[in-house]
Amino acid sequence: MASSRKITLRSSDGESFEVEEAVAVESQTIKHMIEDDCADNAIPLPNVTSKILAKVIEYCKKHVDASKAEDRVNDEDLKAWDAAFIKVDQVDQATLFDLILAANYLNIKSLLDLTCQTVADMIKGNLFPVRNEWLNFTFSIANRELVLVCLTEWVAHRRLFCS
Amino acid sequence: MLRFRTLLASPYRKRKKQPKTGRKTRATRSDAVPRKQCHRTDELRQPHQLETVEQEEEEEEAEAEDGELGFHLKSSARSNAHGVQPLGNLFLSPNATNSRNTGLGALQNLTDELLLEILGLLSATQLGILATVSKSFYIFCNHEPLWRNLVLEALGGDFSFNRSWKSTYVAGCHPSFDVGSVGDLGLEIRDFYSDYVFQSWLCANLEMKPEWLERDNIVRKRGISVEEFVRSFEEPNKPVLLEGCMDGWLALEKWNRDYLVKTCSGVRFSVGPVEMRLEDYFCYSDQTREERPLYLFDPKFGEKVPVLGLDYEVPVYFREDLFSVLGNERPDYRWIIIGPSGSGSSFHIDPNSTSAWNAVITGSKKWVLFPPDVVPPGVHPSPDGAEVACPVSINEWFMNFYGATKSWKKKPVECICKAGEVIFVPSGWWHMVINLEESIAITQNYVSSRNLLNVLDFLKKPNASTLVSGTRDRVNLHDKFKKAVEAKFPGKIDQLMLEAEDKAALQKKPSFWDSVTDSKAGAFTFSF
Repeated sequence: MASSRKITLRSSDGESFEVEEAVAVESQTIKHMIEDDCADNAIPLPNVTSKILAKVIEYCKKHVDASKAEDRVNDEDLKAWDAAFIKVDQVDQATLFDLILAANYLNIKSLLDLTCQTVADMIKGNLFPVRNEWLNFTFSIANRELVLVCLTEWVAHRRLFCS
Repeated sequence: MLRFRTLLASPYRKRKKQPKTGRKTRATRSDAVPRKQCHRTDELRQPHQLETVEQEEEEEEAEAEDGELGFHLKSSARSNAHGVQPLGNLFLSPNATNSRNTGLGALQNLTDELLLEILGLLSATQLGILATVSKSFYIFCNHEPLWRNLVLEALGGDFSFNRSWKSTYVAGCHPSFDVGSVGDLGLEIRDFYSDYVFQSWLCANLEMKPEWLERDNIVRKRGISVEEFVRSFEEPNKPVLLEGCMDGWLALEKWNRDYLVKTCSGVRFSVGPVEMRLEDYFCYSDQTREERPLYLFDPKFGEKVPVLGLDYEVPVYFREDLFSVLGNERPDYRWIIIGPSGSGSSFHIDPNSTSAWNAVITGSKKWVLFPPDVVPPGVHPSPDGAEVACPVSINEWFMNFYGATKSWKKKPVECICKAGEVIFVPSGWWHMVINLEESIAITQNYVSSRNLLNVLDFLKKPNASTLVSGTRDRVNLHDKFKKAVEAKFPGKIDQLMLEAEDKAALQKKPSFWDSVTDSKAGAFTFSF
């Protein structure tokens, strides 16, 4: 039976969160603090607000539960849960970026990967169509990829300095 | 290997003592960008000349270094930094906007590293388009390491390097396009401040400072007997530079680019994560100007091109090679190493607790070695040794941490190893190597009677599956090896253990592993 030792995390705005050790050590940063014996009192996390910390804990709890034998959740369900978890934050971009910073600071690789991929997808989704009202020619679809990559120098020059 | 970026320390103009920051850098990824200022005086700015003031900053340091030290750029440095300046300059500029931030919009609160990680998830086309969005994105999306990854993913080792990774990508993936007509316009962007991007460019273009190369305190020996070598160096585990033991190597006369390219025609050698033909690698190494150039490091060159194996022989001191009892199942043990000036290996301990020798055939290498119980400044091994966090590039280590070694009591062993010289690297020693010019070398790791017991202990450790390297059969290597040694040299292990006990009883010396405190010899992994 896994140890059910509780760890207290304190956010930057002074709120305390009590979590099981197994959930807390999803964060490598916290894991090392515990190993270095800094966890007797609350662990202060000056870089993470309570709003974000709550979300991080929610994520970690789900992932820890998902891997426990009794509540075994299969990969697809977990991915679906992740997608729903992150979708809320796409609406609120600031939260999403704060989550990235928190996942980085707390060193939670899976959350960092999830959030970074989400932002990458958002960027990808916004790139087309290229606004080319000031480019005076069209290009064929076959060459589109190529031309877009190579034209960027010329486009960059025009766009950044000649408008 | 975890890599973190340490930044140039806070500046000062005249000889002023700066207060110690007293800050410990924890080398986790999240900590990668501590904010420090770096200073560049505009009046001194000339093309290809950068005057930057350096100050020691790390935990061990006692006082600020006096005087102004300049950094000199390599004469071929391209202005690919697009005029990027370090963050400290922002505070000295007349207007206080950083186009880095204004150009990133909502993304500006992310660190440079996180942003680059996100950009690393995009395709080439997407990166190209994103570069037109703003000056900030232009600089980030032209960050060469991003394009290097794209090339290696898309083309593996089959690329013909063409001035920059970005144009290499276009040339390789869209061959019908005339890359010559597109180039790096090298747009100069005047109000972009970023420590990460600036330092990346600086480290790539830095010349090694003469004082980093001055210290040469290794013991040099020529023509000593094997017994003397064992007694004075192998037994006490001390490094030594051996001269004259490559006399008679055909490689010394024959090996040059043309010979190797001809002899190895079509053969692919391990270069980081990919495999490349020699001519392609040389085409790359001639042009590259990077922080961490790709390094040719092949563990199977003898099998791939047997003729090469005939051009050299193991120096007489290292002939006892106990892993050979395993035959074909032995871990990787010999490598050919080729790399341009600036390439090299950052601090590590060799795998499986073996000892090593490294022979330079052409070129020259700067070595910095620390004994097993002394962790080099700026290097942070995990408690079990499986992971090592260290500065992103060798130049960065020299800029930020080399100075710390001057005031340490236990100074590192340093030397420049030139063509025709062989360096002995005792087991467990931390070492770092940088090529001062294009170099070709051969290195072998080996187990002799002196470190047999240590190696067996190492292979027996509970986390052998992560630490043991160079073989696919990590878990069973210990048993296999022990059995094979017993078979070929019955009684040897027992005899060695008796001798060790006798010695220990005499000296009450702690065992090798007990004496290693925070630098337990760890796994050897190159990460690229």
